[in-house]
Amino acid sequence: MILRQTKAILIDAYRELNAKKLFWLTMILNLLAVIGFASIGINERGFSFLFWTIEGEFNTSVMSKSTFYKFEFITWGIPIWLSWGTTVLALISTAGIIPDLVSGGTIEPLLSKPISRARLFLTKYLTGLGFVAAQVLVFSAGCFLVLGIRAGSWEFGMFLAIPIVLAFFSYLFSVCAFIGIVTRSTITSLLLTIVFFLLVFGVHLSEAITISGRENAAVQIEDAQDNVESQERFATKQIEKYKEQGKPIPGQDGEPIPPGRSDTFEAVNPTLAFARENLVKAQRKYDSWEGWADWFIRAKVVLPKTQETIGLLERNLINDDEFDGFIEMMERLSDDGSGNQQDPRANDRIQAIYAGRSMTWILGTSFAFEAFFLGLSTLIFVRRDF
Amino acid sequence: MSAVIDVQGVEKMYRRKVHALRGVDLQVGAGEIFGLLGPNGAGKSTLVKVLMTVISATRCKGTMLGKKIGDKSALTQVGYLPEHHNFPKYLTSQQVLRHFGAMAGVDRKTRNKRADELLEIVNMTDAASHKLGTYSKGMRQRIGIAQALMNDPKLVVLDEPTDGVDPIGRRDIREILLRLKGEGRTVFLNSHLLSELEMVCDRVAIMVHGQMRQQGTIDDLTEGRSGFRIRSATAIDGLAIDASKAAVHGIECAGEPGEHELVFQTSNAQTVQPAIDSLRKHGVVIESLGFHRPSLEDLFIQAVSEEPDGARPGAQQGKKGARS
Repeated sequence: MILRQTKAILIDAYRELNAKKLFWLTMILNLLAVIGFASIGINERGFSFLFWTIEGEFNTSVMSKSTFYKFEFITWGIPIWLSWGTTVLALISTAGIIPDLVSGGTIEPLLSKPISRARLFLTKYLTGLGFVAAQVLVFSAGCFLVLGIRAGSWEFGMFLAIPIVLAFFSYLFSVCAFIGIVTRSTITSLLLTIVFFLLVFGVHLSEAITISGRENAAVQIEDAQDNVESQERFATKQIEKYKEQGKPIPGQDGEPIPPGRSDTFEAVNPTLAFARENLVKAQRKYDSWEGWADWFIRAKVVLPKTQETIGLLERNLINDDEFDGFIEMMERLSDDGSGNQQDPRANDRIQAIYAGRSMTWILGTSFAFEAFFLGLSTLIFVRRDF
Repeated sequence: MSAVIDVQGVEKMYRRKVHALRGVDLQVGAGEIFGLLGPNGAGKSTLVKVLMTVISATRCKGTMLGKKIGDKSALTQVGYLPEHHNFPKYLTSQQVLRHFGAMAGVDRKTRNKRADELLEIVNMTDAASHKLGTYSKGMRQRIGIAQALMNDPKLVVLDEPTDGVDPIGRRDIREILLRLKGEGRTVFLNSHLLSELEMVCDRVAIMVHGQMRQQGTIDDLTEGRSGFRIRSATAIDGLAIDASKAAVHGIECAGEPGEHELVFQTSNAQTVQPAIDSLRKHGVVIESLGFHRPSLEDLFIQAVSEEPDGARPGAQQGKKGARS
């Protein structure tokens, strides 16, 4: 009976989406995205777009076709289409599932059937995820074929997008379901979930900025520390030189320290005062960034890691060599000659922080968030009088 | 009478403020058509929803089909048509029946067969492939009834089944109800259309302010209230009433001085003759005379107009004429 009821709910969900024309509309949009993915390429002469070639240095001598498509998938397919396009489309399509379920006149016949409330609610929830899985399957399969046919590389890792995007979407859908069960309004659940999505993205961005600021400040501290030590060593040499020359040493033998200098070292080496001042400034800067970074890191622990979850696809799709090559190329492309490049040491430190976040931590804390909201929604649904 | 529904002391309090059900006792026997009536806000739908597990009772003792109230397994043998239902408009009636059949646990082969049979019973075969969104209220109601029968239930609970249905549709629904009874099913009807209930129900219960006021067969409930009604063209004075009462000693008489009618609670015409003579002797001009049996509407209006039994939680006013 359980399978029969589950199948009935799934078929009904499909019919509902189909009736709203959303199912096929989103499928068509996914196919268009695949066509867009396939229309751009690389050949011996340069970039290709449909039947045209834009000749240039960026050609297959720099990057293989296979790597190009993988990077296209990583730089465009994942962060733009799967993270935003698919997610917003999926939210629009599925935001009504729970409010429609609990609407007056719809819920009563269902609750009077021999199915537990928890199972009814969770099955409905799964239908939303099933819809997204179908969307991502179409996109991934399309990209898989494009990569295979155009670059001769059959990259099955692309299908990892299905569980990863599903996990990513499920965090948001748990919030959407919760708002839906509380407010019973499709439009409210959709809007508030999008606001939540933006909030999570904002926290992620703020955390990235503050960590970057903190690590850059840490590098500046290191530099300032080195400079202070170097200046102190120079000051020590100066003192010895003073002694050899029989010159009076400021701050010793009753010799006064000039105003604006704090000790003998600074008195004999005025640059040390600036170096120390820079160190203090760097320290202050670090403290300030660290304070903010701590807040965002704490906030992020409890929030779902949407961007990192999507990032797992990158980790699994390309190897380290390809990744390093890609980063190098991106740096080269983004180098505008202004010299405003991030310190590579700060970059390494930041990369180390992100790399230190294990898949278990990313998925574990995110699923804990989802479980909390899903559990709360189920509890409300089970206990509510309709 | 083996009870299909047997509940005692059902209480429902919403948000600790609204006392919707105040200790309701209810027994519905197997194979009967039972009608629950009451004014709007009496708690009828709340009681039905408690039985159907749509809402949970604050307090409830009893069983439905031998299982505790709230036990989902009992619902495999129950069909339910909610009031103000809203079946998916994007489905055809055939799809609706098959979907709810599957939800009730009916296997595919039986579902398909039964959906066709039920569409014929509710006279909707011609519109079977049309979407519900194109249906009239009456057509949707017919599909709702068919939906409630998909699992071949022992107990059919219909909440306002004739709501929005035209007279022909109502007649058809009455026939369906009698057919269900003929098949040995128990039908629990919730309605405020008294004439509908009177025509098909074996037993009825009247609910007011969350309490069960009366419960029994219509004959039981009207017993002691039917009799010969004498109508006068003028107001009957107290003297004439006393004299007529004395003339038929031992027979209950209802009527107050100044009113235009008296009801002698007997079915024997012979026994009221002395009262008629006495009234005529006192100058009462008799306008009409006949045997009167109160309708369900009379009982209903009487029950509703009685003062509620306070706000005493769990209180239930006397079940006048109850024969459960």
